[in-house]
Amino acid sequence: MSDLSESYSQNDRPMLKVTNLTHRVSLETDTLTILQGVNLEINRGESVAIVGRSGSGKTTLLGLLAGLDTPSDGQVELDGSVISQLSEDERAKLRSRRVGFVFQSFQLLPALTALENVMLPLELSGSEKPDAKARELLERVGLGERLSHTPRQLSGGEQQRVAIARAFASEPVVLFADEPTGNLDNRTGSEVSDLLMTLNREQGTTLVMVTHDERLAARCGRQFSIEAGVLSEPSSATAQEAVN
Amino acid sequence: MAASKKLMSVRRDWRERDVRVVLSALIIAVATVATIALFASQLQRTLVTSASSFLAADRQLEAENGREVPESWMQEAESRGLETARMVEFSTMVYGADNFQLVSVKAVNDTYPLRGEVEVQQGATAPRELVSSGPAPGEVWINPRLLRLLNLDVGDSLDVGSLSLTISGLLVREPDGGFRMSSLAPRVMMHASDVPATGVIQEGSRVEYVYLFAGDEDVLNSYHAWLEPRFGPSHEWEGVRDGETFSESLQRAERFLLLGGSLAVMLAAVAVAVASRQYALSQRDTVALLKTLGVNSRGIGTLYLRRLGLWGIVGAIGGLLVALPLFWLLSSVLSDVLERPVDYQLDPNALVPALLTALVSLFAFAYPPIRRLKHVPAMRVLRSQPGESGREAIPDMAIAIVAIFGLVWMYAREVSLVLALLGGLALLLGTLALLGWALVTTLRKISGGGNAWRLALVGLYRHRRASLSQIAVFAMTLMLAATLILVRTSLLDDWQAQLPDDAPNHFLINIAPDSVDQVEDFWAERGQPLRQLYPMVRGRLTELNGNPVREAVSKDERVNALNRELNLTWMDTLPSDNDIIEGQWFEPGQRRGVSIEAELAGKLGVEVGDSLGFTIGSDKVTETVTSIRTVQWDSMKPNFYMAFPPQGGLEDMPATWITAFYLPEDQKSALNEFSRQFPTVSVLEIDHIIERIQEIVQQVTQAIEAILALILAAALVVMAAVVSATMQERQREGALLRTLGGRQTLLVRSTMLEFALLGFFAGILGVIAAEAAVWALQFRMFEGEFRVHWQAILPIPVLSALVLAIFGRWQLKPVLSVSPMLLLRRLE
Repeated sequence: MSDLSESYSQNDRPMLKVTNLTHRVSLETDTLTILQGVNLEINRGESVAIVGRSGSGKTTLLGLLAGLDTPSDGQVELDGSVISQLSEDERAKLRSRRVGFVFQSFQLLPALTALENVMLPLELSGSEKPDAKARELLERVGLGERLSHTPRQLSGGEQQRVAIARAFASEPVVLFADEPTGNLDNRTGSEVSDLLMTLNREQGTTLVMVTHDERLAARCGRQFSIEAGVLSEPSSATAQEAVN
Repeated sequence: MAASKKLMSVRRDWRERDVRVVLSALIIAVATVATIALFASQLQRTLVTSASSFLAADRQLEAENGREVPESWMQEAESRGLETARMVEFSTMVYGADNFQLVSVKAVNDTYPLRGEVEVQQGATAPRELVSSGPAPGEVWINPRLLRLLNLDVGDSLDVGSLSLTISGLLVREPDGGFRMSSLAPRVMMHASDVPATGVIQEGSRVEYVYLFAGDEDVLNSYHAWLEPRFGPSHEWEGVRDGETFSESLQRAERFLLLGGSLAVMLAAVAVAVASRQYALSQRDTVALLKTLGVNSRGIGTLYLRRLGLWGIVGAIGGLLVALPLFWLLSSVLSDVLERPVDYQLDPNALVPALLTALVSLFAFAYPPIRRLKHVPAMRVLRSQPGESGREAIPDMAIAIVAIFGLVWMYAREVSLVLALLGGLALLLGTLALLGWALVTTLRKISGGGNAWRLALVGLYRHRRASLSQIAVFAMTLMLAATLILVRTSLLDDWQAQLPDDAPNHFLINIAPDSVDQVEDFWAERGQPLRQLYPMVRGRLTELNGNPVREAVSKDERVNALNRELNLTWMDTLPSDNDIIEGQWFEPGQRRGVSIEAELAGKLGVEVGDSLGFTIGSDKVTETVTSIRTVQWDSMKPNFYMAFPPQGGLEDMPATWITAFYLPEDQKSALNEFSRQFPTVSVLEIDHIIERIQEIVQQVTQAIEAILALILAAALVVMAAVVSATMQERQREGALLRTLGGRQTLLVRSTMLEFALLGFFAGILGVIAAEAAVWALQFRMFEGEFRVHWQAILPIPVLSALVLAIFGRWQLKPVLSVSPMLLLRRLE
């Protein structure tokens, strides 16, 4: 990490600050509002779950928070940088240094082995010894013996563990997870979410997770729910009741 | 109802990218093969017609004994439906405006010429016109030079024997103005019906009757078969293929077209194979799903077989629809070049190879991977199964290679072509295996680092299987295209070398030994020095190893050289375009022996050491064959069947000298002065023949270029098909790399570099394999000399690297233009 990033991380400002975020997509006939006036502040080291039904706009919100796309209105500030003011390449650079991803459908490259998949972000950020770091992480997620296997030779749970190793490889300050257990059975799902939570705690990463799994959401420090593009933060009590 | 259902399913199939590639490849295959086959048969007809016009007919029958052939021969020809024309050639003195001149008369009847046109001028400065008849009775056309020699003008009268004829035109070119020793004096053309009135032809006059025939090839051949037993020794039958000047150029052009067609077949096959393998891979999930829905393996097999059949029909029809306008376009180019209308003929036979190509491509290249679909386990629906390891593809490759060479064989019927391509391909695959090994061992160590070069190399290593198969396909495509370009270049160079702009266009014949020096001085003073003069002795080959030569040669091998007097010569150095293939050329000071031309030696079965007996006037000369040499008959230089050493067997024989030289158009007037100063020397003007040959070479060149362009287009499509076969995976990869923070410029650079490397390796392999194939082809088919084409070795890999880099950039475009989030959603 450079000195510049050190000074950033010691900063007290919130990790993520969302102000009046609105997102619309133009269809052939009319415009569809996906997100409406979202305001949100997430502090360093916090873990946050955004819960909502399919089509509620939660994945779009995650994408905007991570800087994969720019909003129609409002602004997203990620670790001090206003995303809509950055160029495509600057956003890419920001992602490669500070952001990690875990996807519902794993998104491993089928032609690459587990090791190579984990090395990918390290190589993109120009790391000198991507090999050693990737091995270490795969050992950590329990796949030390499966380094040279391709995604096709791994089960769903194993694939997601590779994806988690990849997400932590670049030592991100914030990790975005989109339905990380959505494609897994209950038991595997809880194994994977245990791993995710543990690593998150160990590394001190800020975690933003989108899910419809209330049980998983309950393991996060804060929960938000989203419905028809409007975000609200229920009181912790209500959230606890929902879990019980 | 059933048909519309099927159409619906083609329409549904069309939505799948791989099906579009398979169908496009099929359409291109059928279109290319059909266009080439149609055009080749059209070109063939046109060339034969052009070459036929050198005889002014399809066949000529010459009677050199001064007697007309029996009238029944002509009646027989006409009853078989052949067109006929007659002419008679003789030498005589003509008289006009107080001057005499020896001329060579050609008297023709109304039907002359059967093929080609006569080129005439109404006056010395009038434009040239093409007419398809000779002069009318009472009129005469004369060589422009004669006009000046006799001080005459168009409209004056000229006396031929006791008949006075009106000069109504200048004869610039006759369609059969071939190279004939009897026509050395300036030409005069008149109508045959005027000949008796001239009183020139008497019993025993030196007259040659020539009969022209044109019509269907089969009828001509059967007529010849009927005629042959009736021939006397002085009858000579001449066809297009016997014409020494043209046959070789024609054969080479034909072979080039066949080669082009074969390569098109191979290219198309590659495209079909690649696309259908891709299609089969993409269909695995569908098959697994169908199986869980209760369709059994057999049902799956039938389903895909039907689909293939349907594609075949669509490909064949689509291909023909593309081929027809292309064919018309090419033919109209041809007709522009020829400056004459081309009669379009759709040769249905030419369509057979196209349809066969479609069928074989489908069943040998598309079917094997698709056939294996029925073995896809239904479990695949629940759990992703390991894909094809590539080992299954080995029998496919074997089938494909056998099928490709079957197709090429069907198309070209040329073992050496098949072997040359097979050799090139084997070399290519061998080198590829080496390259693959090198790639795996050297690139394995590279990892890490965010620079584009390292990412590109890592990319090559990671996609090593895909990379190697892409290199194989690109290299094959490049090999085929490069082979064609190289063969074309050396073919055209050969022709150009044979007929350079300063090719000899005049012959001086019958130079008396004591005026050789004066003749040389005459031209040296005018800045046109003569390069080499050859002595010439007329004689017949009569004995072979002491036996009369007619008995020694089997009856079915008719040898033209035996029917007429041969031009014998002596020389001390071998002409530069002759090659000794057996024996030794004469040592300095050697006086015995004879060197014989290779083709004649072959026909006579003569080998080094045999003895040949010649009858020269009343003398006999016997010599032992000391060497056999090849001769460039189409070089337009004096060529000889038999060469003796200086002061050898010919020393005391009556010789005259002959030479060929180049005289520019604007110095032609020097010929008049020459004729006045050396009245006994004959001048043979062949400048118009050379002009005609150069025209034909140009036509053939244009046709070759057109076909080359077509094939290169096909090659580009193959490359596009292969690159886009991996498109989906690359787009997914690009999107993920961007999500993980790869910068656009880095992505663009590394992808372009990766493709450039692919293109470069493929280019090197392709060029090496092409050189090997060209070496073999040059050696076996085109009889040219092989040399390494250094000028192609660097540009081709560089060019292919460039083209592929651009393909790579183009393929990346959708990845860069939308947000990574949209891409991730689309690809999920």
